[in-house]
Amino acid sequence: MSDTSIVNTSSVSAPAFNGTENFVLEGRTILVTGASSGIGKAVAILCASLGATLVINGRSAERLQAVLDQLYGTDHQMIIGDLTEVDTREALIEAAPLYDGLAYCAGAASLAPVRMANEKHLQQMLSVNYLAPANLTQRLLYKKKLNTGASLVYVTALASRACPSASAGYAASKAALESYIRTLALEHGKQNIRATYVAPGYVDTPMLESLGTMIDMDKQSELTPMGKIESTDIAPGVVYLLSPASRWVTRSILTIDGGLSIAMRL
Amino acid sequence: MVDNEITPELVAATLFGLAGKTILITGASKGLGQETAKYLAAAGAKLVICGRDQQRLDETLKSLLGSGHRSIIAELTDMDKLMNVAVECGKVDGVVHCAGIRGLSPMKLVSETHLSEVMATNYTSPVMLTRHLLAKQLITNGGSIIFMSSVAALSGTVGVGPYAGSKAALIGVMRPMALELARRKIRVNTLCPALVETTLTTEDRPWFDEISKRYPLGVGQPADIAQACLYLLSDASRVVTGTVFAMDGGLEYA
Repeated sequence: MSDTSIVNTSSVSAPAFNGTENFVLEGRTILVTGASSGIGKAVAILCASLGATLVINGRSAERLQAVLDQLYGTDHQMIIGDLTEVDTREALIEAAPLYDGLAYCAGAASLAPVRMANEKHLQQMLSVNYLAPANLTQRLLYKKKLNTGASLVYVTALASRACPSASAGYAASKAALESYIRTLALEHGKQNIRATYVAPGYVDTPMLESLGTMIDMDKQSELTPMGKIESTDIAPGVVYLLSPASRWVTRSILTIDGGLSIAMRL
Repeated sequence: MVDNEITPELVAATLFGLAGKTILITGASKGLGQETAKYLAAAGAKLVICGRDQQRLDETLKSLLGSGHRSIIAELTDMDKLMNVAVECGKVDGVVHCAGIRGLSPMKLVSETHLSEVMATNYTSPVMLTRHLLAKQLITNGGSIIFMSSVAALSGTVGVGPYAGSKAALIGVMRPMALELARRKIRVNTLCPALVETTLTTEDRPWFDEISKRYPLGVGQPADIAQACLYLLSDASRVVTGTVFAMDGGLEYA
């Protein structure tokens, strides 16, 4: 019986072409921020299982180590630190000779109605969601750390266009990042460096959980036509944009919101 | 056992592959529809390919990897026969509407006949074909429908009025459809590609070469569209619906 199976498998040659080759990330070094939980964690796990070598970043040493231990393959690195601090960003930039991709998944959400959205709140949102990714990107480009064919993928938010109540600080910071990405894509297209963004709707993550009673996840899932969205629903979209399968896509937005925004005038 | 080892290739083929799915693809006898058919078949889908030209459709059918593919010769603008196409097609897990024509004409020269022709092929046919498939319960729960729109629906260029209108109409019809089908977990999305290199678009070489310069990443290849379809048809995009996805190589809008 075992003899037969050996003969069978060796006589059947692997198909020359299966259409999904370009979704594989082997030989690519990818920086994943926000990798200790939520969307970033799901993206890191999927990128590694598709063969990428990763540098992962997050603030919690314990949780980041747990993600690192879970990654398929070897040679991955982790760098603990807050991306609003220059030292963290420089450490990430120096961690690899060249990057083929960036999955910027770090972000923070806090809600405040406009009446309460004071300067401190706005500064905090801008600092985490706009200035940190913008500063990291600028240094990657300035230090020539991006390989030709590199793909920069940022997780933004449907909120940047939907602008729900109490999101003025958060939505504006994500909108600022989206505008930045579109300029970036335009300036670096000729070098074959791509920049795109994924805009998720309400995803079941620790970030949304942290908002506590301000956002009821069950209610949001009910409002979402396709139901509850998990981090693992976002990761394949990020991977598609990181991979050579999307080599002609830049300056584009991929909305993954289970149809939540269909009824909105964005 | 080595054969069962999980490899990156296997992960990609599983997540973005189409094994076990049957997909209907129109406009499969040439251009991006033909190339998309090749990718979908390679990724494990059983295809029902649809087109007008028997010979070219046969060629496409022969070029497909895998087995169990079928072809339907049909003039999709013939509304009387469209229901037959749906019946002949049978149950599917996905539909890619690639059939389309160009509708180039400056506004002052647009005729009602031309406008109707463009709307019939680019809008009415894909919408009514989908309608018939839905009415006959031929699209399985969890399925995926892709309309081929265009960047012409998102940004303006002179001389493409009839075409742009028909492609924008697809975006309009997609949204209610996506909402209506969400209960059955069927997704509906539109792709909006800019210039893709096909026999049709390269007929006028000097024009093509000149306009290509506006694309930082070059003009698109049919394979680029095919791979976007793989993402949108596979379970990788389980919750992606109602989206307008632009693919334009970073086209610098003048």
